Amino acid sequence: MATVSLDRVTIEFPVYNARGRSLTEELFRRTVGGMIHSNGRKGVSVVALRDVSLSVADGDRLGLIGHNGAGKSTLLRVLAGIYEPLSGRVRIKGTVATLTDITMGMNLDATGYENVVLRGVFLGLRVREARRMIPEIEEFTELGEFLRLPIRTYSTGMMLRLAFAVTTAVMPEILIMDELIGAGDAAFAVKATARLNQMISHSRILIMASHDVETIRRLCNRAALLQTGRIVTIGSVDEVIAAYLTGNADQSPPSSAADAITSAGP
Amino acid sequence: MLVTIVALGGVYSYLFRISLRNYLPSLTLGIVVWALLASMITDACTVFTGAEHFLQQVPLPKSIFVHRMLVRNLITFAHNVTIVPLLYLVFGIVPGWPSVLALVGLAIATLNGFWIGLLVGMLCARFRDLPQIVASIMQIAFFVTPVMWRPDQLPHELSWLVDLNPLANLLSLIRDPLLGQVPTRFAYLTGIALILAGFSVTIPFFVRFRTRLVFWL
Repeated sequence: MATVSLDRVTIEFPVYNARGRSLTEELFRRTVGGMIHSNGRKGVSVVALRDVSLSVADGDRLGLIGHNGAGKSTLLRVLAGIYEPLSGRVRIKGTVATLTDITMGMNLDATGYENVVLRGVFLGLRVREARRMIPEIEEFTELGEFLRLPIRTYSTGMMLRLAFAVTTAVMPEILIMDELIGAGDAAFAVKATARLNQMISHSRILIMASHDVETIRRLCNRAALLQTGRIVTIGSVDEVIAAYLTGNADQSPPSSAADAITSAGP
Repeated sequence: MLVTIVALGGVYSYLFRISLRNYLPSLTLGIVVWALLASMITDACTVFTGAEHFLQQVPLPKSIFVHRMLVRNLITFAHNVTIVPLLYLVFGIVPGWPSVLALVGLAIATLNGFWIGLLVGMLCARFRDLPQIVASIMQIAFFVTPVMWRPDQLPHELSWLVDLNPLANLLSLIRDPLLGQVPTRFAYLTGIALILAGFSVTIPFFVRFRTRLVFWL
């Protein structure tokens, strides 16, 4: 049983300018007592998520929709455990795999085989488990002898094939995706799609962000609309997509971006 | 490494008026061990800023990046230390059983490297001018630490300069055994005290700011 629940989660990014980044400046400010730098030294922070509560049950396929900057990627990163909230609680039961950057952890100087293991370990496998995937990946990628060469020698397409093959070889309970991943030329794309669908159907929970409403419609059974860091609508896919599309029609896109930027203490 | 040591050894043994035979072994080991200590500290600055991509993509334990830095430096050290048998051959040194103690010294230095990596790594992610500050401190530290010179060249009333220098103590914990001498008890106590003090500052700091780290990148 995999479940995900968020309770009033708020994520705030501090935005430092060159001064805020400087230790000498900071020490100076503390000792001089803020007399010199009192003006304009206030830090700015962006509230990327505000009081987001969400519960995802076993078997849910949740799609996240929203404009750029609405907080989709931030929310995915909270779910992946990368951002820990300042306030609010995150509870996640089940193994999580995040498919945001599928080449992450691969080393250009290592051979294809070594990269299968490297990438596998980054996805949470043991070295032995990662080695066990090799025959299947050999067959799927059709890279043949190239797997013995450093991946520096690969074309972009070949590298993506390999990354895609390893990434989709693990079967997590909770799958997190930022836009649909894919790889390769037309013939390979068919194979890749089939493989990705298999991975998705294996997972207990899918949470994906996408700008493409058709993808959401095809893969998800629930959807949530985000706007300036809040979940405004959550419910059936059709309902939420309708809300998103009407919102598009009668609203200037960066609606209240300024609203999300607040002045914070130093 | 070999070229540097031969060149420096020639010039400085002349400047200090010490015979090459007395000077070169301690200089060689001094440089090899200093390279390890100094690069652990300067690399500590980029432990997290250099791993920005990983930190923003996967929820890995933060200590992995410190381990990475330590292992990299230990490999480099293992590579540099191959000069030591050559030194023994050329100068006919038999270090004897104390040389085993070098491993203890290495362990103490590595444990110190761990908290330094975690603490300095996090501070350098927050304060981007810190790496430059650390670099200049290390440059000064090189001159006040007995790498190019020997502690016994210092007048007696200035010996506190070496005793109070943590890096000098760590250096002697690795270098002295390899020259066949047992390090002083004071050096061991300093090394261990550094570990305890370092961790008692680093652990609360890490617990407090661990979740903020990713926002500093």
